[in-house]
Amino acid sequence: MQNNNSVIGFILALTFVVALILALLQNGLKPIHDKNEALYSKKATLAAVADHIDGDFNKINNDQIQDIFDSQIKQMVLNSEGSVVESAELESLGVKGGMAENLDLTREQKKKPEDRLLPLYVYTKSDGSKYYIVYTRGKGLWDEIWGNIALEEDLKTLAGVSFDHKAETPGLGAEIKDNKEFKAQFIGKKIYDDNGNYTSVYVRKGGAKDPVHEVDGISGATITADGVTEMLQRGLKAYEPYLKTIKS
Amino acid sequence: MGDLINIFIKSAFIENLALAYFLGMCSYLAVSKTVKTAFGLGLAVIFVLGITMPINWVINTWLLGENGIFQTDLTFLRFILFIAVIASMVQLVEMVVEKYSPALYNSLGIFLPLITVNCAILGGSLFMVSKEYNFAESVAFGLGGGFGWFLAIVAIAAIREKIKYSDVPPAMRGLGMAFLLTGLMGMAFMGLMGIDPAAF
Amino acid sequence: MADTTIVQPKEAAIKFGKKERKLITDPLDDNNPITVQVLGICSALAVTTGMKNALVMAVAVIFVLVFSNVITSLLRKQIPKQVRMIVQLVIIAALVTIVELTLKAIAFDSYKQLSVFIGLIITNCIIMGRLEAFAMANKPWESALDGLGNGFGYGIILIIVAFFREFFGKGELMGAKIIGGTSDYLLDTSSIAWLGWYENNNLMVLFPSAMFVIAVLIWAHRAWNPKLVDVS
Repeated sequence: MQNNNSVIGFILALTFVVALILALLQNGLKPIHDKNEALYSKKATLAAVADHIDGDFNKINNDQIQDIFDSQIKQMVLNSEGSVVESAELESLGVKGGMAENLDLTREQKKKPEDRLLPLYVYTKSDGSKYYIVYTRGKGLWDEIWGNIALEEDLKTLAGVSFDHKAETPGLGAEIKDNKEFKAQFIGKKIYDDNGNYTSVYVRKGGAKDPVHEVDGISGATITADGVTEMLQRGLKAYEPYLKTIKS
Repeated sequence: MGDLINIFIKSAFIENLALAYFLGMCSYLAVSKTVKTAFGLGLAVIFVLGITMPINWVINTWLLGENGIFQTDLTFLRFILFIAVIASMVQLVEMVVEKYSPALYNSLGIFLPLITVNCAILGGSLFMVSKEYNFAESVAFGLGGGFGWFLAIVAIAAIREKIKYSDVPPAMRGLGMAFLLTGLMGMAFMGLMGIDPAAF
Repeated sequence: MADTTIVQPKEAAIKFGKKERKLITDPLDDNNPITVQVLGICSALAVTTGMKNALVMAVAVIFVLVFSNVITSLLRKQIPKQVRMIVQLVIIAALVTIVELTLKAIAFDSYKQLSVFIGLIITNCIIMGRLEAFAMANKPWESALDGLGNGFGYGIILIIVAFFREFFGKGELMGAKIIGGTSDYLLDTSSIAWLGWYENNNLMVLFPSAMFVIAVLIWAHRAWNPKLVDVS
């Protein structure tokens, strides 16, 4: 039985070596981690306009994503009243570089709706047409869900969507992210009716009734689908103040 | 308070650590041959989960977080610290059980220290981190999760005790049957998915 | 008179003879960590929804298994008995942290999909089990081989389960769409007449199906290798 000192000595030595190795690795890899994290959310944003990206979106690599963001995307941050928040003010609020891509969306969600900052990405396709990509966040069955919605220049027709989630069930709620057919349904749907009233898009269990404003639900994932409906309803409306200023 | 009860019910039944996420399977399958051992192990798991959750929460928030006392992001030390806490707590439980209930200590044997590597314990703490619970919520989550695991292991032990006398094909006997049963129980529990305790 | 002391050739530290080969082949069949020893089940269930994730997990586990075996074996005479378990856990936890940091840098998508289950490699009973049962009493090279063998045994089961779950659940293999209802798939059931009835079984994507697949695997394994019947 070794004496207590040698046991303590061993433990201390082990702890020191382990902590050192891990700290070095973490520090060395942090830039790559941050870049990966940033590119992951950029890819999700672009996924909303996947059909309008030159080339096959499924095969896109990280450099291309960054290129598109640098050359074809204009980023803005809006407040709930619809005004653009300048990058200087954003920097003072802690948003790195004053850029929309560095907004901490989880933190924004925790604020009251009137205090939230909203990111907006305007994508200019190679043929000159513009797409407005907005962001919304809500609650699925188990945890949070969120989505990027792309609007066409008329600001009422959907050009594409991409969804993600924290903990939905694979095969059920997770289909909002994985199922291409579910997402493709949203293309062409309108969020305003002919009289200019706001309708958003409704995910209907059992099958869409209105071909212009509704999509089919996902069997076995009613609650997640309801979460999608809710976050679209609330989230798209939040951009209305700003979008109205562009229309005129 | 209602919120906490919701979390307790959710983690015990709807997000059952054993039957919805299949955590802690190794000891679950190995100790469920008799209801007596299953009962004892289940209780120990409730206790360990109930204690390690809050301690790990404190460590994660006050030591490792960017707003903690070190003011830097030390989350890469999370695994090591969590498992160290769990190992120490299990050691403590072992000593307490040995002193106050030697019979239980003997019947559990090696499986008491094996709680340390029970994925449900570490898994519970990691889930708590990813769900960003606060202190009270983590306690509720720990106790609820433990309780759910306890129910699951006692249930399957009861079934296995009965099945011992059934005519099972030789190659399926024992382990194969246990897997099949757990799968069926898992499916049954899926029926609870989507229940929002807050609605009651 | 010439010196007649015969010098014995020193035993090569690293050899690959019959005994060493057995260290690798045993866990593939007779002593398979999942189907026989009942270890490492937790992750086998959660990550086998797709073959790609199963592969990443298998590689991660093999890495941790081999290196923790080797490190523990190298330190086996120095580790104080009282803190044996904690030291083993710290070694495992450190290696798993290395795996996580590496994955986050080179395979971000897999990192996101595996999330919590990377951390759960620490509690993968196979690793702890092998450290206690083998590495604490054997030399580093043998321990490395034992780790490799058990890792392969684990990996094989994982890949088999993932194969069935991914193919029958989503009609895909390693992400490549093979059979399904739309034109994206190689075998498009909506356009090929005699396949019109086929639908992907969504149950396979859910957790309990992994249990069923493993149950059938155990059944098959024991039917094929009668030595194993009712071993537990």
